[in-house]
Amino acid sequence: MSRGSPEKTEWMRGTSASLRGALLGLLLERPGHSYELANRLLTRLGETWRINPNDVYRLLKQLEDGGLASANEEPKRGNQRGTHSVYYPTELTAEALTRWMETLLPRGPVRVGLQAKLAVAREEDAPRLLAALRQYERECLDLLKLAPAAHNEQRSWKALFMDCTREAVDGQLRQEIAWSQRTRRRIKEHATV
Amino acid sequence: MRRSSSVTDPQAPLLSFLNVSKRYPDGNREIVVLDEESFDVEQGVFVGIFGARRSGKSTMLRLAAGVEEPSAGTVLFAGENLAEMSVVGRERLLRTAIGFVSADDWRPSPKERVVDYVALSLGSNGPALREARRRARDVLTVVGMAHGADQLARSLSVGERTRIVLAQALIREPRLLLVDEPAVMPSLSEREELYALMRLVAREQNMTLMVASEEMAPLHGAGVLMSIADGELCSTDERGTVVRLPRRVLAGAERRGR
Repeated sequence: MSRGSPEKTEWMRGTSASLRGALLGLLLERPGHSYELANRLLTRLGETWRINPNDVYRLLKQLEDGGLASANEEPKRGNQRGTHSVYYPTELTAEALTRWMETLLPRGPVRVGLQAKLAVAREEDAPRLLAALRQYERECLDLLKLAPAAHNEQRSWKALFMDCTREAVDGQLRQEIAWSQRTRRRIKEHATV
Repeated sequence: MRRSSSVTDPQAPLLSFLNVSKRYPDGNREIVVLDEESFDVEQGVFVGIFGARRSGKSTMLRLAAGVEEPSAGTVLFAGENLAEMSVVGRERLLRTAIGFVSADDWRPSPKERVVDYVALSLGSNGPALREARRRARDVLTVVGMAHGADQLARSLSVGERTRIVLAQALIREPRLLLVDEPAVMPSLSEREELYALMRLVAREQNMTLMVASEEMAPLHGAGVLMSIADGELCSTDERGTVVRLPRRVLAGAERRGR
């Protein structure tokens, strides 16, 4: 009962948390075996996630251990021989997905987590996504606040390089904020159509 | 009605937006610049407002300066409702307690010297010209333009002009300094110098500084950062997230959620 328990939030931690969350969403849509779920993750999230079928298998096992997914041995389809595990949602899956939608992971690449949530969000998750996006925007602003202001007397190489670095970080944060704002606008516009 | 702009409630925050909305007609659509936003700004704080072009950040500053009125809600300066002040009172406020720096404010006449351009911005019911000139020279020293005081204002470079516009705001010894888009600077080092100067002057005089920019560099060192888009403000100063949602999204969530 570690990674998967819905009351505990351990399954939301670690680098694979976003994939575990996304898998819950996919399972709720329809059951599937590990390789098929890996393919669906890849289609949903895109190539940048480097989805590995072996990892997906491991993550599904963790969800199963925690009671958030259940596996059933079923014969392979078509004229293939043998059986494979088909994963189904349990009665805890939907609630766990909702909890995950509401959680902004405190560490790690937050945007990656948001992207995973967007990829499997249900219609009723729209308010949770808006809240998470807003919180993300505020975190970006907080990061910007951490950047020290330059001193005017500095005209050294070091000051120049520091300024270039800051400009790179600024650019990233700016892009993130713009992305968050655009996404919120699209969700809100769609809601009022 | 209270007469003086300096009569204010000492307990009140320097600037308060209470459920402020601002809308513009745009053809047969409506542009929402602010949608029921509230926040307080205390004396001496540096607030950075980050927003893309046409996001409404300049409008926010104009609302704070009282040169524009909100469509709904209230803007309070030191506890006083700007909308309830007389036009004369608001103008006086803009010549004393509120300094507004905008890149568009560059209108010297052909033969005007820098020192006069700055001195005359105190207005006709300010101090006598001799005193105004003395203060202008002091403030030109602060912005690093003492050497250019007797030059013709029209002969200045872009970077120098920005300093003069800043001097025009500083000579009024404002409590609130509003700076709109200070990004129009020719070189990086000049840019950094100007931003550092703004921060330094604001800190030394315990001025509240609000800078709006689409760049992030002018906002470094801010105590509170806000972003603005589609009428919604996001601030690092928020206590607890309040997210307003379109009604239909909420209804949908209640219907299907539980």
